[in-house]
Amino acid sequence: MLTHLRVLDLTDQRGVLAGQMLADLGANVIQIEPPGGSRGRRVAPFFGDDLPETDWPEAERSIFWAAYTRNKRGATCDLERAEGRELLRRLLADADILIESAEPGAMAELGLGYEQLSTDFPRLIYTSISAFGQSGPKAHYEATDLVIWAAGTPLLMTGDDDRAPVRVSAPQSWSHAAADAAGGAMLALHARHATGRGQHVDVSAQISAAQATLGQVLAHSLGASEPERYAGGVKVRGVGFRGTTEVADGWIVLTLAPGPAVGHFVNHAVRWLIDVGALEAELAEENFVDYPDRLLAGRADPELMPRIQQTMQAQVRGKSKREMLDISIAYDLLLVPVLTVPDLAESRQLAERGFWREFQLDDGRALRLPSAPLQISIDGAAQRWDDRPPPRLGQHNDEVWGEIGLSATEIAALRGKGVI
Amino acid sequence: MPDERPILADLKVLDLSWIVAGPTVGRALADFGAMVIRVESAARVDTARVVGPFHGDEPGVENSGLYGSVNAGKLGVALNLRFPEAREVLRDLVRWADLVSESFTAGVLEQWDLHYGALRRIKPDLIMLSSTLLGQYGPERSVSGFGTQGAGMSGALDLTGWPDRPPAGPYGPYTDYPAPRFALTAVLAALEHRRRTGQGAHIDQAQAEATLHFLAPALIDYLNGGPALQRRGNDDAQMSPHGVYPSQPPPDRDEAWIAIAARDDADWRSLAGVVGGLDAALTASQRRAQSREIDSAIAAWTVQRSTDEAERVLQAAGVPAHRLASTEDAANDPQLAQRGHFAQLPHALHGQTVVEGPRYRLSDTPGAPIRPAPQVGEHTAQVLKEILGYSDEQITSLAASGALS
Repeated sequence: MLTHLRVLDLTDQRGVLAGQMLADLGANVIQIEPPGGSRGRRVAPFFGDDLPETDWPEAERSIFWAAYTRNKRGATCDLERAEGRELLRRLLADADILIESAEPGAMAELGLGYEQLSTDFPRLIYTSISAFGQSGPKAHYEATDLVIWAAGTPLLMTGDDDRAPVRVSAPQSWSHAAADAAGGAMLALHARHATGRGQHVDVSAQISAAQATLGQVLAHSLGASEPERYAGGVKVRGVGFRGTTEVADGWIVLTLAPGPAVGHFVNHAVRWLIDVGALEAELAEENFVDYPDRLLAGRADPELMPRIQQTMQAQVRGKSKREMLDISIAYDLLLVPVLTVPDLAESRQLAERGFWREFQLDDGRALRLPSAPLQISIDGAAQRWDDRPPPRLGQHNDEVWGEIGLSATEIAALRGKGVI
Repeated sequence: MPDERPILADLKVLDLSWIVAGPTVGRALADFGAMVIRVESAARVDTARVVGPFHGDEPGVENSGLYGSVNAGKLGVALNLRFPEAREVLRDLVRWADLVSESFTAGVLEQWDLHYGALRRIKPDLIMLSSTLLGQYGPERSVSGFGTQGAGMSGALDLTGWPDRPPAGPYGPYTDYPAPRFALTAVLAALEHRRRTGQGAHIDQAQAEATLHFLAPALIDYLNGGPALQRRGNDDAQMSPHGVYPSQPPPDRDEAWIAIAARDDADWRSLAGVVGGLDAALTASQRRAQSREIDSAIAAWTVQRSTDEAERVLQAAGVPAHRLASTEDAANDPQLAQRGHFAQLPHALHGQTVVEGPRYRLSDTPGAPIRPAPQVGEHTAQVLKEILGYSDEQITSLAASGALS
């Protein structure tokens, strides 16, 4: 869908997902790195890290970098040098979107800031990803994933109520920001159809992280009380509701609550409990959608709902996550397993949807990676634009620099001088 | 040079989606001028309406800040699709729309002949976004669930918490956070494709798969023979120290915390300079080996200070640090204020409401919500009359049938 678009991706580990999202929709995305490799190539986890020895080349060991440069071409260019900046400008002549994630002001110091480039490239959509945004009192704060998660408010809401709050155990903040940047760049593309001009898209990871609060970031502004953290569930005014339940081989999320929103799932659960002989058949007549109303009116048994919950707990305890998922599908329950990384690798749903793909690298290795995050069909035909494995450092230099008209000799000279 | 006409002023969106992941996409389009008609039924209102935060902590279907924020700028139409008459109105709305966004459990729309294949027959260049937990096909496609279930099915729940405790999970329905960003980008790409070719598209989003891309490095590691990542509190694979430390709470709070991270040896030296009693020469692996003592020393320093002071002193020294912002801190954060993140809108019932601003700042064509989220069915008559051209008699008879409830 975006095969006519050219994207120059200058991001490092901060925001590298954005270009991939556009690449997975067809855009021609070139990841530009310094000749020595992006800082993102030094971000964990690493291939072969658990082995005493590994033959992975040092620059190619970052799984993080491989994950988010998949489906891009890779070129190198030293933007600290005038010759490198001139090369970038030649690439920009044909580019629609630039994405960068340097500290605010750093690109301008190189003469590559939005103001500077927009004069020569008025149609360029210049997308900046930063921790707090390009301007404002915290624009120059030092930041990491954890710091951004703290500033955006999700961190204080997360974790066990008797311990310090916790983040997700794999960094998330920059991906939230990168994903917003991709959407922002696409909005600017549509704006360009109307105005004929590019513009500056400025994404603040702090604001992107606030998405991960289910709107609770607004609580104080609306006169509501602060959200409280509670492991495996939610706490409302000091009362915790846990959704996680232990089963034979791990955890499930089980919601069993009467009422108009999810009471029909209780009806379904009762049906299962009757089928396995754990509840008497007469309970099939009971309707848990209007149970709270009947309870208030004194026309329902107050002991019934607690009894169903206890029966359910007793029945699931000895079952496996997989058994419970099958029962959940068969009876339409509000119940899913808490999948671990190995569970996800073995998921039949992901397998059926072709989510994992194997790539043959040109050095003979095979690499299993996720495929594009969406399945798109046009006139009934499935489309995909995600056929490239992650590039080695500088893998497409000849191709990319050749495309702007450099001869093999010129490219070799630039390589000799360390510009690319 | 702000333009007079919003950039998506010609875009017509029929939003049949639910709770957060789908509605967030329509909200973003509405910010930039799209006309977005949000359909729901008074018989079973959107779950987001019964989830807080509520205005003044008062639960009520018109009081939800969550619903208010993800539906700001939309028009509200009530249709009960169990009535065939309502499904006919819906087909008329599809004829009007460029984009249909829906998040029904996979298979439900087939029963009503309102799935993509059927709608494409009445609107050949339709763009349709179908966003569900696990996608439109596959053996588990019908798994019911909200995003909280999605957090379980995407690995995010298991990977949040302490190694010696059951999984804590992220706050709320984690799949609802990555999913709308992928969906918005794809919808805008499909519009671009249609502009160039006249072709529509169907986008099948599994919200869990979107979330897996946020966890991709851990999955790829395991898939290629590496170890399986497990929850590890606030530990980081490379940064040390890296954690959340207790701080002196303000008088009206019983806790306060600050996040501190040392990305490298330089950060560590700066941190050691501030905290005192720490060996500035330690390498990252030495710091990791002594993390218990180091964390205690940092905590002994932070606990004597307000988050305000600790954050100021650490940032001045170049150490990544920020208080764990409460929503009150966020409301008073000069950075969020500078970006206008809390947007005030006049509201018929509340006088005024507050919604989140757009998540990106476009320099020339900034977006903004122009009206608060609709009350249930607020614009039903207006839309049927002005957009679909129904007569008053038609509308009265539809209302009498129950279709507009």
